[in-house]
Formats: sequence, structure tokens, C-alpha cells
Amino acid sequence: MRRPPGAVTELLGPALLVILVGVVGTTASASNEGYFLNALVSVAIVVAIYVFVGISGVLSFGQISFVALGAFAAGVMTVPVESKKGVLTSIFPLLRDHSIGNVPSLLLAAALGGVFAFLVGLPLMRLSGLAAGIATFAVLEITHNVLREWTKIGPGATTLALVPETTGALQATLGALVAITVAFLYQRSRRGRLLRASREDPAVARSVGVNIHLERLLAFTVSGALAGFAGGLYVHLLGSITTEQVYLELTFLTLAMLVVGGLTSLWGAVVGALAVSGLDSFLSRAESGVHVVFTFTLPQGTRLVFLAAIMALVLILRPSGLTGGRELRLRWSLRRWR
Amino acid sequence: MTKTTRWSALVALLGAAVAVAAIAGTTSSRAGTDAKKPIVIGWAFDSSGNMAPFDNPALAAAKIRVKQINAKGGVGGRRLQIKTCNTQGNNPTTAKACAVSLLGQGSNIIFTTCDVDYATPVVQAAINRGVLAVAPCIGTDQMGPKRFAAKGKLAFSFGNVAQDEGSAMAQYAWSRGWKSAALATNTYLVYFKNVVQAFDIRFRQLGGKIVDRESYATGANNVNSAVTRLNSHKASVYVTSTAFGELPSFVSGIRSLGNKTPILNSWAGDGTYWATNNPKVTNYYCVTYASVFGDDPSSAVRAMIASLKKAGTAPGTGGFLGGADAIDGVVTAIKRAHGSTKGSLLSAQLVKFKRVPVLGGRISFSAKLHTVFGRDYRVIQIQNNKASFKGLVRAKVIPKL
Repeated sequence: MRRPPGAVTELLGPALLVILVGVVGTTASASNEGYFLNALVSVAIVVAIYVFVGISGVLSFGQISFVALGAFAAGVMTVPVESKKGVLTSIFPLLRDHSIGNVPSLLLAAALGGVFAFLVGLPLMRLSGLAAGIATFAVLEITHNVLREWTKIGPGATTLALVPETTGALQATLGALVAITVAFLYQRSRRGRLLRASREDPAVARSVGVNIHLERLLAFTVSGALAGFAGGLYVHLLGSITTEQVYLELTFLTLAMLVVGGLTSLWGAVVGALAVSGLDSFLSRAESGVHVVFTFTLPQGTRLVFLAAIMALVLILRPSGLTGGRELRLRWSLRRWR
Repeated sequence: MTKTTRWSALVALLGAAVAVAAIAGTTSSRAGTDAKKPIVIGWAFDSSGNMAPFDNPALAAAKIRVKQINAKGGVGGRRLQIKTCNTQGNNPTTAKACAVSLLGQGSNIIFTTCDVDYATPVVQAAINRGVLAVAPCIGTDQMGPKRFAAKGKLAFSFGNVAQDEGSAMAQYAWSRGWKSAALATNTYLVYFKNVVQAFDIRFRQLGGKIVDRESYATGANNVNSAVTRLNSHKASVYVTSTAFGELPSFVSGIRSLGNKTPILNSWAGDGTYWATNNPKVTNYYCVTYASVFGDDPSSAVRAMIASLKKAGTAPGTGGFLGGADAIDGVVTAIKRAHGSTKGSLLSAQLVKFKRVPVLGGRISFSAKLHTVFGRDYRVIQIQNNKASFKGLVRAKVIPKL
């Protein structure tokens, strides 16, 4: 039996896994379905981060800025006008007097995320290593504080409520699939390969004519657009958002998902997001009592301890992540079936 | 793909699948179908996060109050039942799952945590389904139409609205003959800000003079700068509304400078758990729901505190009363709605509350203010780290912010 083309499993593996989670989620009780949907939205966010961090090899703490921008843009623009006039009294009249639908809000979130990423990427993409990490962290700080303090564009430090809860199983699954497909197409494109080459050896890449600044800027923009889109999915899942929910904790959790799964592969991003989300949700349920063969309850607060310990353990045993930073290949299993 | 890599990925997926199966397999139980079904209060509370010091005492007091009401035959022959779900630090996904789970278990009314931002996922889950959402101690006017628009008709808080509390503080200051005040606003919470704003307006209405306005914020490490600037202004009283680490820093900072000016705080500064030993807290005042120092003027409140102590949940501040008051208020609303627990009917009754008796005294709501006003605040004084009840004060005017 011939080995199937890598491209097929590279896309189908993550896609089928996401579809499986989406389908299983629909069979869960109403209260538990949210955990599955949250895992799928996490996939979209982590894949967005992967598009830049994974492919370029440049560390960024700033991608959640674009998630935040997308979340607030999609949220503010989908709150019904009659509600906005009562609860968002300080925002610009243009934002207050207009509302848009679910899908346009996701497209708006993606567009804003992409444009914002492009603008901040213009100066920042010349940086590498620690400098890039610090600079992108500064972007996160600035975005957080602008969203928190500027009540002309949102609710400021208070919660943005009344956002339509449109991210159900279908939208969460499709959203994750869109993110995976875009990431796949980008990484298989010429641009994606050039950027990957610059990750492996910047000097050699430059010597053969790769414009590293341009390639990183493109990846940063695509990543920003996907992150904005994921932010839109996130706000429509929760029905409300605060600036704290799209800040440090989400930044480090999603980066941890990517590192645990395998920093340098799309398969790693998806596996990491689902594995850590699944573990987190399970431990969360276990603190309130869960039945697996027998019923047991974990003491309060053990969730974070377990989660951190397991992540540390994974990284000690497999520094390159659960997938080894490689894409899914079926060669080994097909060989066994021969 | 190497063998170990494949196994790692498989193990991770298997682990995730077990987690998925465990979560998917957890089904919610159904409420009973007896003719006299209990009235179920679903309470999404934070047992160990930021809001735990507020949520746990309120829940403990509510449980005792429910026992007392059930011992007298319940509400129209129906028992009250509290079902709880821990939001684990008010994680939004967990909080929302809690609310949906409690509603799935047949909750007629949803109770939520004491901060409106943390409470939003739970409140929305309830009011979107036409169920009344109640907070025992949210202290701003945000719990209602102001935050949740038309659906906010179903959201209420039995905390004291900041405008009312700040106004009561101004009246107390004026009654003490304090003619000038210097204000220090902690900008971290809307509640903190609104209390000081209300004091500012009401104190000037009464004829008082504001000699300085400073600000600081929780977590910003700037409280000491505010204290230094405040110290350079002579005033009859320093007014703030703060808690957390900034409270001991603020009070001990002023006293360390040898400044003995009275300090007046809101409910946020109740209790003595924060008091420093050097310098000791002295000439310090706050307004609160109840005195937990054994000298509350209400015998019912003292009995509730004794019950809480007996249950091993001795309250550190008067905030526990919001839990008991919320149960009393909801029971009154159900009775006035002829036994109905429908959100819209209960809401229609609650907005009519004018000096309605509850365990802690008398409370009011209005169509605009879904958070309590008109309470008789207990003024607590701390001298040499010893707290005692000084008197009652009720706001005569609610300033418009």
C-alpha cells in the first residue's frame, strides 16, 4: 500500500479530531457542552498562535491582543441597538447606533485582528528572540489598557454583557475547522515554507533571498486575523467578556497548550489545545465530583496544581511536545494493516 | 513519525477522550415532580477564589435562614431548598456551566456571586431563561437594567447600593460635626468609586467642604503616594472606600505619619482581620450591614451570628447578612406573587419593595435601583484594634451620580 500524501493527513487528522469533539459535545448534558465548545474555541486560538509562533519560531506574548480586539469588536457590534443605548452610553454614536449579525461580526473581528496585527507588526517584525517577546508583551499591555480605560469603544473595565450566544456546537466546530484550514493552506504555501526556512536558519534563508521581515509580517497578519476571528467565537460562546478574560491567563494558557502539543506543527497545536482543555475541564468537574468507574471528588484548588504538574511533566519527558512537533502521518498504521 | 511520538500523541488523545467521556457521561439530575415541589434556589458561588470571603458567609447565613423558614412550614407549604455549584474562582466557562446545571436541576431562582462582573455569565444564563437572578451583596446599581438592559428587570442584589452607602457616610460625618473632608478614591472597583462620589455630592449638599480629592488603585502600588498627599491637607475626616491590601496600607500609612484624623470607610473596610499591630488601628469608622462584634442592636441579627458561630462559620464582616436578607426578600416576593416563582412576577413584586422587613432591618428597591437602599447602616468604630457598634445611620437622599 502506498503512503498517502502527507497533505491529506496533515489537514484531515486535526479536522477529524475537531469534528469528533464537536459531535461528542452535542451528546453531553447542557451544562457540560460548554466545556467542549470552550475546547474548540481554544483550538482556534492556539492554531492562530501557531501560525506565527510555530512557523516563524519567534516568541510572541501579544497574540491574545488580537483575540481581545476581535472579542470586543464582535461583542460590541452584536449587542442589540436598543440595549446598547441603555448600557453602553459612552461609546461613539457610530458604534452605539449600529448592530450587525453573527457572521459579519466574525468577519469584522478577523479583519480588525489582521489590520491591527499588520500595523503593529510593521515595526515589531524586525525583532527576534527575547526582544520580540518583550515587544509583543508590550502590545498586549497597551491593548489591554486601551480596552480597559477607553469607554468610547467599549464597556471599559466593566463586563460587556448581552452579547448573543451564537457559538454552539456547529459554529465552534466550523470555526476551529476554518482556523485549521487557513493555517494548513498557509503553512503549505510558498510563503509558509519560506518562513519555516527562516525559522530553521535565518542566515541561510537571507542568503537565498528570503525577506524575513516581510514573511514574518505576513504570518503575523494572518495569525492576527485568525486570533481576531477566534475572539469573535469566544465572545459569542460566553455571551459576555471582560478585559481580564483576554489577558495574561489566556496568554499563558494558550501558549502552554501550544508548547505541550508541539510548538512546530499544526497537529501539535490541535492536540495540545484539546488535551489541555480536556484535562482542565475534567479536573474542574472532578472538584465538584465526577464518575469514572467510581465517583470521586478532588479537593478544591487541586485543578491548577494537577494541571501545572502534568504540563511540567510532559515538557520534562517530551521537550518538543506530545506530538514531537511533527505533523500527523499515517504511514506507520497503514504498514501494520498490510 | 517516531514510535515514541506516536505513543505520546495517542496517550494524550486517549486521556482527552477519557476526560471527554467522563464529562459527557455526567448527566444532570431532574427535579422531583411532587405536587408540593420544593422551591429550589440554585446558588452559583465561589468557594475558594477572590469572592469566597463574600460568598461563603452569605451562603452560610442563607442556609441557616432556609432551615428556620422550613421549620415553620416553608413558603405556602413548599420547602425551600438550596442547591449549590462552585464556580471555582468565577471562571466564566465554569460559572456559565454552573448556572446551566442548576437550571437543569430545576432551580426556580438563581443566586450568584457578589461582584457583577464575575456574576454576568450566571446572571445572563438565568435572565435569558426568564428566571430571577439574585446576588446577596453586589453593591452597585449595575445589577439590573443598567447592566442587563430590558432583561435586567430580572436581576436584583440585596447588597447596599453604593450611592445610598456613600450618602449615609456623609450624613454620619456631618452629624459628628466633621465640616471638611479629604477624599481618597480607589479606582479599582465601580463600587469603591461610587461610594466616594456619593459621599462627595451629599457632603457638599449638607454644607461640608471637600478639601482634597486623591486617587489610587488596588494593585497599582500607589496608595502610599495618595496617603502622603492626603496628609498635607488638613481635614476633619479622611474618606475612602477600599479593601484588599490597600486598606491596611492606607490606614497604617496615615497613622505612621502621626496623623490622627478620623478615617471613614464603607462596608469594604468592615472587620478587624486586616488591622495592623504597629501602629494599631484607631479613630477608624466604617458603615456596614451588621455588627459582628457581639453588640448589634438587632436580637435577630445577634441570634443569626450565634448560629453561624455554632455552625463553625463565624462571620468576619457584616456582609453575611445579605444572604439571609436575600432569602427573606425572595420569600416575601413569592408570597406577594401568590406562590409563583416566575421571574417576571417576582421582579414585579421586588420593585415595589418600600421599607420591607428582612432579617437585618428594612430595605427598598425601585424600578431603577435593583440594589438595596434605605437600610439602617451600623456604624462601627475601631479603637486600638477593638471594634464596637457606635450607632445607626440611614441615608435620607440618594445622590444621582
